[in-house]
Amino acid sequence: MKLAWRHAFLVLIVAFSLFPIVFVISAAINPLGTLGSSTLVPTGASLGNFADLLTSDVYPFKTWFVNSIVLALMASFTSLLLSLLAAYAFSRMRFKGRRVGMLTLLLVQMFPQFLAVVAIFMIFTEISDLYPAFGFDTVSGLMLLYMGGALGANTWLMKGFLDTVPKELDESATVDGATHTQIFWRIILPLVTPILAVTGLLAFIGYMSEFIMASVFLRDPSSKTLAVGMYGMLVGDARNTNFGMFAAGTLITAIPTVGVFLWLQRYIVSGLTSGAVKG
Amino acid sequence: MSAPSVIDPPKKAARHSAARPARRQVTTAFVVTRVAVLAVAAALLLYAVPPLVAAESWVALAVVIAVSAVLGYLYLSRRFVPAKYLVPGTIFLLAFQVFPVLFTFSTSVTNFGDGHRGTKAEAVTAIEASSLKQVPGSPSYQLSAATKDGELVFLLTDPATKQVQEGSTDGLAPVEGATLGMTGKVTAAPGYTVLTTAQAAARGKEIAAITVPTRGGAIKANGLSRAVEAKASMVYDASCDCIQGENGPWKASEATGYFVNPAGDVLSQGWQVNVGLDNFVRVMTDPTINTNFLGVFAWNLTFALGSVLTTFALGMAVALALHHPKMRGVKIYRILLILPYAMPAFAMLLIWRDMFNKDFGLVNQLTGLTTDWLGQPTTARLAVLLVNLWLGFPYMFLVTTGALQAIPRELTEAAGLDGANAWNAFRRVTLPLLLVALSPLLVASFAFNFNNFNAIQLTTAGGPFDVDSIRVGATDLLITYTFRLAFGSGSAQFGFAAAISVFIFAIVAVLSAVGFRRTRKQEDVYR
Amino acid sequence: MRIRALATLAGLALAAAACGNSAEAPAAAPTSAAPAPSSAAPAAGGKLVIWSEGAKRTAALKPFAEQFGAENGVTVEIKEITENPQQTFVTASQQGSGPDVMVGAHDWIGNMVQNGAVEPVNLTDEQKAGFNPVAVKAVTFNGQVYGAPYAVENLALIRNTDLVADAPATFDEVAAKGLALKKDGKVKEALCLQVAQVGDAYHAYPLFSSAGGSLFGATATGDPDPKQVQIGTGDSVKAWGKLGELGKKGVLKTSITPENSIPTFAKGDCAFLVSGPWAMNDVRKSGLKYDISAIPAFEGGKPATPFVGVQAFFVAAKGQNKTLAQEFVTNYVTNTDVAKALYDADPRPPALTAAMDLVKGNDPDLAKFLDAGKDGLPMPAIPEMSAIWEPFGIAEASVIKGGDAAKAAGAAQKAVEKSLAK
Repeated sequence: MKLAWRHAFLVLIVAFSLFPIVFVISAAINPLGTLGSSTLVPTGASLGNFADLLTSDVYPFKTWFVNSIVLALMASFTSLLLSLLAAYAFSRMRFKGRRVGMLTLLLVQMFPQFLAVVAIFMIFTEISDLYPAFGFDTVSGLMLLYMGGALGANTWLMKGFLDTVPKELDESATVDGATHTQIFWRIILPLVTPILAVTGLLAFIGYMSEFIMASVFLRDPSSKTLAVGMYGMLVGDARNTNFGMFAAGTLITAIPTVGVFLWLQRYIVSGLTSGAVKG
Repeated sequence: MSAPSVIDPPKKAARHSAARPARRQVTTAFVVTRVAVLAVAAALLLYAVPPLVAAESWVALAVVIAVSAVLGYLYLSRRFVPAKYLVPGTIFLLAFQVFPVLFTFSTSVTNFGDGHRGTKAEAVTAIEASSLKQVPGSPSYQLSAATKDGELVFLLTDPATKQVQEGSTDGLAPVEGATLGMTGKVTAAPGYTVLTTAQAAARGKEIAAITVPTRGGAIKANGLSRAVEAKASMVYDASCDCIQGENGPWKASEATGYFVNPAGDVLSQGWQVNVGLDNFVRVMTDPTINTNFLGVFAWNLTFALGSVLTTFALGMAVALALHHPKMRGVKIYRILLILPYAMPAFAMLLIWRDMFNKDFGLVNQLTGLTTDWLGQPTTARLAVLLVNLWLGFPYMFLVTTGALQAIPRELTEAAGLDGANAWNAFRRVTLPLLLVALSPLLVASFAFNFNNFNAIQLTTAGGPFDVDSIRVGATDLLITYTFRLAFGSGSAQFGFAAAISVFIFAIVAVLSAVGFRRTRKQEDVYR
Repeated sequence: MRIRALATLAGLALAAAACGNSAEAPAAAPTSAAPAPSSAAPAAGGKLVIWSEGAKRTAALKPFAEQFGAENGVTVEIKEITENPQQTFVTASQQGSGPDVMVGAHDWIGNMVQNGAVEPVNLTDEQKAGFNPVAVKAVTFNGQVYGAPYAVENLALIRNTDLVADAPATFDEVAAKGLALKKDGKVKEALCLQVAQVGDAYHAYPLFSSAGGSLFGATATGDPDPKQVQIGTGDSVKAWGKLGELGKKGVLKTSITPENSIPTFAKGDCAFLVSGPWAMNDVRKSGLKYDISAIPAFEGGKPATPFVGVQAFFVAAKGQNKTLAQEFVTNYVTNTDVAKALYDADPRPPALTAAMDLVKGNDPDLAKFLDAGKDGLPMPAIPEMSAIWEPFGIAEASVIKGGDAAKAAGAAQKAVEKSLAK
């Protein structure tokens, strides 16, 4: 009985979350899809928009797709590592400037990005000259830029989770003679797998859809990510003609995210419970 | 950087996070770590240094070497344990976030913006260049670039007379016996090596640098095949620090960063000057800012708090609903629930905007209403909160799901078995434990939503606006409002925007700091 | 594991270095994601970098840019700026990482000039004579020509000839006819003219001007004078009232947006559409019968002047290779063949008269658009114009929703004056 209520509630929420997506799907399979059309039921059904998108001369969609995935995977992995290291220090160690450091991290994130564009241009004009492999129009350069934000929200997220790992665990390990490195890798890390999985997924999604920085950074059509490239499909005078293709692209964009989620799902549920028993 | 597999079983030397010099056996892991650190440092230096040397960027080189030295010391030493964990991320943070923030703040005391982007010298160059006009009655020469004794010169053909002259930085000189091509360009001339188009193109920069002085002005190349005798009608005169020319003299004003003439007009090409606290004074005294500030601020707080609370409540409710040992279809539910988060946010914001359209939108169409959702203040505010809820709850759902795994099921189940009702169990046991993990995140989420530019800009763009105050809309956040003030009129005023952002920054800082203090209690629950 | 990580790092560094090198070779695949090293070394051949807006146009330009490269033995890179191309161009130029040639709208000129981002372009008199005079006028700023125009666009009235056979003589007729058709259930909307919640000054301006409104006074030379803002004074107030009236009747609506205006017409749910050449793709695809005419004036009103927008090539003042940029802009894109081919790839009405004559036989709509815009006002290129758009739009949306016209006019006037006073 109680389970039925749970299902009822969840179905309601699923309906809420899928409602706009159904609209996107309808536009994607509708040969005359437009952003302004107002129907959930498409006037026709075809995969023409998907085919157009994948074979387009104007929009190198497949390249964008690969760029996005490479970027999001590399960036989320690296940022996860960087922020986990920092979160460990913030959670487990007591040092001068700890709380100030955390607050600073938060505040720096609050800075409006559109104002930072000028400074970004300054930095990367230099880098482009000196190290073209990390300059404008390169995914590696954009990744470098993203790593500036790696400590931001992720550190906070993971610090909160690390705080829930009982301190006695590391204390007993310390007594057993473990170094801080060992405690970190062998005790803490296995215990926080669900959090790593969640944070990793969030980071992946974040990098997949990041737009502001990517749009000033990637100008070469073949260096663009999905977010930038697809935004470009909507600007200018091609807006309506492209909407069907755009909707199709939006759906394809969701595929890698769902894939990563499926992959990480087992870590999310594997849970601390099992780990805690071992500890 | 390292993985557990490499590390040997526990060492004898016990160490705690505090620096405590101790006897320590030299283990494989120890050696490998140190070698790895050195190798990475060496590889980085090997990659980073040569271009800096080539470009003669000595300051940058010094910084790179100093940073490498500090890093090497840090990781080779046994002290500074927290720093070892913090430094990798911090380097990126400093370079790509802290520096841009500080740089932007530094522009808040300048007039940096459109018309005032560069230096005075750049402004002078721009003014002179844009006043260059072809000397009346002078021909448009056919140009061939050529070399004479290794020196790059112009061979100029007058299209009317077919007379050929050599143009160099020394001036014009006649050329005899030149062969002309179909278009009139010189193809060969005794004593000269005429460059092919490709050769000339490769030397484009040198060609652009050549100025042939003439009586009426100077001849400059205009592309690869044409040259024009032109004269600047505006010229900088150092003796009066002014621009001489039409309606002049235009005197340089270091206070405003403009050249001003006696009539009070300015030349549009200005330069960046220090304006002290003018931008801040403007923020404080501008009536459009201070009369609207409280209203915008109040809505901004409501929006940020509302977004955090609704997304958290819904996300947690969904996570809790799924968190039951007998629940079926969990995987499917999870996938369907994170879909809103997996779609590109900007696309979905635009789609929501259109769904709220009065006559064409799905919302009215499905509900049979005729509400102009985004056209009225109250409904527009509700709509943006709803959209933000839609966008944000999967995030909270995922995070809560993760956090729930961290709470031993025995705890929640025990509370249930004790006969406490479900609500009490949730309130007394689950929620406090969740908050330990999530309260820092909630603070961060508040701060994020406080400045959630896209959520507003892409849906309502701050509107709806009222005829009485067309500068501020009902759903404007401080950030969208700033954006409109600083860039909305098309020309960017970075200095002013930076000054406003300093204020906003201060506000968010205070609010977040207060919220952050409250997390201190939770931090030590487990200690 | 550490060693593997290290090897990976080293490998990455090597790969990166290799990419950097390979890009120097002219034979490198043009689609390679690795950028060519910036042209710091003068010995390394010529390189021309072009920035454009919109994927379609970028793709259309590519073959011509490459042909130019082949003819002149230089490498040409063409990049697409997705977001806010003008500001991105100005900022990048200032920092030294901008392009050599920028493609964009002529009304950017004022701001680009005040930032020293573009240089005058020296077109011969014969070249100038070859262009549509409006196009040359549009790219002329402070007596200097700043770009080579390649397309001229303006609004016109497009009507569904199944519903309305003859072109209406006045705008009052358009409104009445549209409302009558709506009442009869033949269409769903009286008029497809995009307004949206934030207004749309570009699309509203013809009506505004016909009702007597103006934005700026004129200087002695006939250019718009930013010192005389007229958006909310004198006859402009009456014009705001007129827009409000049309709003009250339901002819102008904030629910008609850039997204739904053209599709609604194409579906046949609207008898009239006010739009430009860019709408024709969708309109033709829909298969309905249509005709194009100038936007008519209000009865007894002034002419309904549309803005004329000109797309042009600009020479970046801080580009690395100005000679090549000048060659490209003044001598290459001004060719009839190139202009014609550009039209074929991305059909915008050519600015070059000869190219226009070549294509108008196959595309009679072009001539009709050209005709509709012959008395158009080149969008003012003065930097001050940028202060108009937003207040105008907001005032427009609020009067259409029933706001008081005098109040809206006053507020717009104040807002514009204030942002110009700086």
